[in-house]
Amino acid sequence: MKDLIKYIAQALVDNPDIVEVSEVLGEQTSVIELRVAKEDLGKVIGKGGKTAKAMRTILSAASAKVRKRAVLEIIE
Amino acid sequence: MNTLEIEGKNIDEAIEKACREFNVPREKMNIEILSEGSKGFLGLVGTKKARIKASLLSLDVALEKDFEPPREIKEAAPARKVVEPKKTSAAAIEPGENAAGEAKELLQGILSRMGLKFPVSVEETAEAITLNIKGDGSGLLIGKGGQTLDAIQYILNKAVGKSGRDKRMIVLDTEEYRDRRDEYLIALAAKLGGKVKKTKKPLTINHMSARDRRVIHLALKSDEALTTRSRGEGAYRKIIILPSKKE
Repeated sequence: MKDLIKYIAQALVDNPDIVEVSEVLGEQTSVIELRVAKEDLGKVIGKGGKTAKAMRTILSAASAKVRKRAVLEIIE
Repeated sequence: MNTLEIEGKNIDEAIEKACREFNVPREKMNIEILSEGSKGFLGLVGTKKARIKASLLSLDVALEKDFEPPREIKEAAPARKVVEPKKTSAAAIEPGENAAGEAKELLQGILSRMGLKFPVSVEETAEAITLNIKGDGSGLLIGKGGQTLDAIQYILNKAVGKSGRDKRMIVLDTEEYRDRRDEYLIALAAKLGGKVKKTKKPLTINHMSARDRRVIHLALKSDEALTTRSRGEGAYRKIIILPSKKE
């Protein structure tokens, strides 16, 4: 899951080297934290949160496959 | 020619059942939507099943066995750590090929990280780059109302479009979902349009994506007696079908 978000985020931003993803594992639900460069924040959130929403949708599809839940947090 | 009436939770499911029943791909069947089904109230009261009537288009295809997509496992795209904005000497770039290749690579990267190793084919026209994923029929990639497919498509457009070289739209499709969806929407538009004409009262369809709304608008455009409009904001934009002012 972590790799998936990292991969997508790196494709979207201007500074792929500054993309950092960490995963806090839970029994059922894991939280994926995404950190990007300040000027790229808008790129991963998108207009009205549209990009963030798309990433979350992809994430839920991917985690549904392994019967888990994952939530994406974008950290400022 | 045998015709079957098939029920399902929704039209997509009913069509899928029909495909299995006849063992042919969707496009080789003639499908008539009898009732659309509804989730009812809170999924408890008044649930109605979707019903379709399905028959084969012609006899000679009846035994074709190519329905089950071969589960070939394609090698995962070579892991690309960093998608660097390519600052190659601009003149040498053939804009088309580059964007399509980039989109395909990116898509395969996303799929392999989702644990899905499906082959992807690319088709290019002057207006769009179409990426077709050969899925396993599970619908996982499509999601409710196509939301997963749309999300990946949106990301691809963002990521590939940011270099700004190629202005073409990237369209993502799997298991003929886009065509099936169009068919369903056009049938829905026709049905609701008929209802509006009969009752002379406007009808609202639940919020749907811009693409889906466009299909409905276009389907009813030629009908003089009806007008279509969108109302609401963002993801909650709904479509309204109303009777035209002049009779």
